[in-house]
Amino acid sequence: MTFRSKLFWVFTLALLLSVALIAAGVMVVTQRAFEGLNQQHSDALVAQFQREFERRGQDIVHRVQGIADAEPTVRMAIDLSRPRSDVSIYVNDGRGVSRAHQLDILDFVANDGSIISSAEWPARFGYKLSWVTQPEDWAARGSFLTKVETPEGPTLALMSVSTVRVGDNNLYVAGGQRLGKEFLASLVLPAGMRALLYLNLDPSYQPANLLDANGPANDAERFAPILEREQKQPGEQTAKINWTSDPASAEIFHALPLLGRKKELLGVLLVGNSQREVAILENRIIWLALAVVGIGLVFGLLLSWWGTARVTRPVRKLAEGAREVAAGNWHAHVDVPGGGEIGQLGRAFNQMTQQMSEQRERLVQSERVAAWREVARRLAHELKNPLFPLQTTVENLQRAKEQNPEQFEEVFRESTGILLSEIQNLKTITERFSDFSKMPQPELASVNLNEVVRSTVKLFEAQFGAVGRPPITPELHLEEDLPAIQADQALLHRALENLILNAMDAMPAGGVLMLRTTHGNGDVHLEISDTGTGLTPEECDRLFTPYYTTKQHGTGLGLAIVQSVVSDHGGRISVESETGVGTAFHIDLPGQPTAPPRAQNFQIVLEKEKSKEGS
Amino acid sequence: MKLRSCLFLALISLALATVPAETARRPRYGGVLRVEIGAVVSSLDPAAPAENSREAAAKEQMYALIYDRRTLDGPFSGVSGSGPFQIAEWEPGKHATLTANDGAPSGRPFVDSIRIQMGRPARDIVLDLELGKTDLSEIPPEQGRRAADLGVRVSVSQADELLALVFPAGRLATEDARVREALAAAIDRASIVNFILQKNGEAAGGLLPQWSSGTAFLFSTAADAGRAKELFAQIAGAPKLVLGYDSGDPLEQSVAERIVVNAREAGISVAAQAIPGAGAAAATRSALDVRLMRLRMSSPRPRRALMNFLTALGPLAGIDASLLPDPASPQEIYDRERAIVGSYRVAPLVWLPQVYGLSGRVRNWKAPGPGETWPLADVWLDVTPEAEGEKDKL
Repeated sequence: MTFRSKLFWVFTLALLLSVALIAAGVMVVTQRAFEGLNQQHSDALVAQFQREFERRGQDIVHRVQGIADAEPTVRMAIDLSRPRSDVSIYVNDGRGVSRAHQLDILDFVANDGSIISSAEWPARFGYKLSWVTQPEDWAARGSFLTKVETPEGPTLALMSVSTVRVGDNNLYVAGGQRLGKEFLASLVLPAGMRALLYLNLDPSYQPANLLDANGPANDAERFAPILEREQKQPGEQTAKINWTSDPASAEIFHALPLLGRKKELLGVLLVGNSQREVAILENRIIWLALAVVGIGLVFGLLLSWWGTARVTRPVRKLAEGAREVAAGNWHAHVDVPGGGEIGQLGRAFNQMTQQMSEQRERLVQSERVAAWREVARRLAHELKNPLFPLQTTVENLQRAKEQNPEQFEEVFRESTGILLSEIQNLKTITERFSDFSKMPQPELASVNLNEVVRSTVKLFEAQFGAVGRPPITPELHLEEDLPAIQADQALLHRALENLILNAMDAMPAGGVLMLRTTHGNGDVHLEISDTGTGLTPEECDRLFTPYYTTKQHGTGLGLAIVQSVVSDHGGRISVESETGVGTAFHIDLPGQPTAPPRAQNFQIVLEKEKSKEGS
Repeated sequence: MKLRSCLFLALISLALATVPAETARRPRYGGVLRVEIGAVVSSLDPAAPAENSREAAAKEQMYALIYDRRTLDGPFSGVSGSGPFQIAEWEPGKHATLTANDGAPSGRPFVDSIRIQMGRPARDIVLDLELGKTDLSEIPPEQGRRAADLGVRVSVSQADELLALVFPAGRLATEDARVREALAAAIDRASIVNFILQKNGEAAGGLLPQWSSGTAFLFSTAADAGRAKELFAQIAGAPKLVLGYDSGDPLEQSVAERIVVNAREAGISVAAQAIPGAGAAAATRSALDVRLMRLRMSSPRPRRALMNFLTALGPLAGIDASLLPDPASPQEIYDRERAIVGSYRVAPLVWLPQVYGLSGRVRNWKAPGPGETWPLADVWLDVTPEAEGEKDKL
């Protein structure tokens, strides 16, 4: 993954994380805002209900008081205070008076608690309404909620009681209005809100007692948990009901207990707040947020792409410069504007390549000078050997001519033979140099390296056991299923000859010459080792340098030719050696050579013994 | 003229002046008698069945005016218009105008015509009587006291209509006689008479009124809630009873609601249910455990009245409707009455009178007795200013 890609993904992830955090924050804040709004709506409706409750209570108090103060009621009270009064004539008064005063409930109750007339249950005359006669300051009580018996069963009513006192007798006027669907219908509710009333008339929760503005509420069973909690412990509560799996169908209900005179739970007002609008609004916000996030992401991604490209451009240039340097272009230069760290890095890179280039030039120059010196030394050395006999022979000829003319002819013949021999030597020397300078390009063909090894070793069999020199024992460890490689057999043969000759030179006292072939990873490996005198590390370092030799009569071109052949086949050669133990050359040749430029074939891997590495 | 003669003449004049005007005046012919009834008569065809008992009763009254005589088994027959009046105008269900028949066998009626307004609510009837907009109307018994308080002339007949609970036979909930007895014992009849009927009626214990049989006092009318509770507690799986009443009869509704209250106090669960129509047929059609019914005596004679009751109730309540000997002794009549009441298939509640409201100009009106029709052919109208102003004096 490129630096730009990494940077891009880092930017993208950071952007995503930021957007997610912001979105989550917005959602939380929005959720809380909506919850607060819901609570405000519920509180407002509860407050409205309480105001309406109080207003109606006051209204009922005034109406009942008005009935008690009316002349017919006073006459009734006076009549009832008389002994043997006929109360039957008042039995139907309750209905008429209740209609006139718009009361659902109206009872005229005698001093003994018996009902004289009842509007809500006319047939109940004569029976007792005992709670009315209990000691209580009804004037101070005002309105209150109570359970009222009706022909249809018990119900809740907002009631008030007034008394008309005549002598020692009281006439009680108990009137009120039902608390039911009509009351709920009279509440002005904001859109999305509704009110329900549970009449707590039974010890356990009864769904039929839950009313809305139209009558018995639908799906009343769903309210059982909150209302059962109210029955156990009256108090304001909030519960959420999900009518379907759709979140928009949910409603939040606020429960308000309605208590009677003795603080008993008589009813529960449920204020429902539909979550539909909230859900729709939340959906809109979510979609808007998603759209903003999407647009932001696309924009952010584009910006990240552009930004990373801009930020990483100097780095890419630096990387390209580094690759050029690695490829050998020591003059690589990067153009990194700006004064930041990247700019400093670019300038440092340019300075570094410039210095490296200059140092390399100096190194090449010095190596070139050193090489020429070595060539000059070698040439001087090589030429000096035949020149000295030539000079001596010519001086012998001159001396013989002057001092022994009689022997001149004999000396002349000997001297000319010597001169021709030495001239031949000089010619040989020049041919060798000429051959090295004219190394041919390999002509590739399928070659079995084992065959090359065997044929080359066979040429030297006579020399290994020549009379007058210590014997050399060749050992061949050739892998039988060695794959064929694409190579020039003649060049390989020549390289192998040079290595064997070097090994023989390294073993003047005889020894073992071991040749081993192996293969792996598509390459074949050739190891040639001897048990000769070995090389010093310094000698190993310079071993493949042209014209460098450790021998008295060597030209220093043998291993250079070997290294050139191996390189021309795309292979590698390395040497390991230990003084007094021997030397081993390792050659790796590819199955299918990729001819590298000769300029690169200077790599020499020197693997030295650990002990020497330590030193 | 001597002083004695003058004093005599003066006394005679004073006596003539103090004699009630009604008795002082002779019957006169003429005038339009305005009658309002609550029933709605849809057809005067004797073959057309009445929709309810009120219509049937109203048709009987009209037939008595336009037909000359009854058949042997009761219904009127003959030619329409052969009676004291003839139909001049007829708008079904709304009003009818009858004109006097000069050739009536019993002689021409006093009034020239009768204008009958149908379907008038009781409240409006009382109001029209109070305002003098009508001359004669039947008033529900429970409204009689109020009408009198408002100054309306009220004529009350003998209590000849029985309001009773009838337990239809074959109903599982009431097959146990203890259920029927418990409900009968729970009912406070005195409160019904005093409060609902406003004292226009009598508590009933038997099937015949005291004035007819002379043995009604032998039947208890007192409520016994304790006995009712005790009986009902003995019944396993206490049933919930359905009490039916005529949806068009406010009195039945009030009594039914009171019975529900009485039963509730005694621990008996009763639900009142309004049903359209009245009579045994309606009770049979409906799935009712008990039915509130009004039974009008067809005759002042106890045997005939009782037999009529038994004939009407026998198939419904499954009671003994066999004929009594004719003539039957009071003991035989009482025994049959006792047997039926003792079965608790019929629980008599109250006796209702017929209450009529009259304007001040109506003369010679006599409340009809059992089996009798309205004597409109004998009624005449007093059109003197005194008669017109009689209402104000009242």
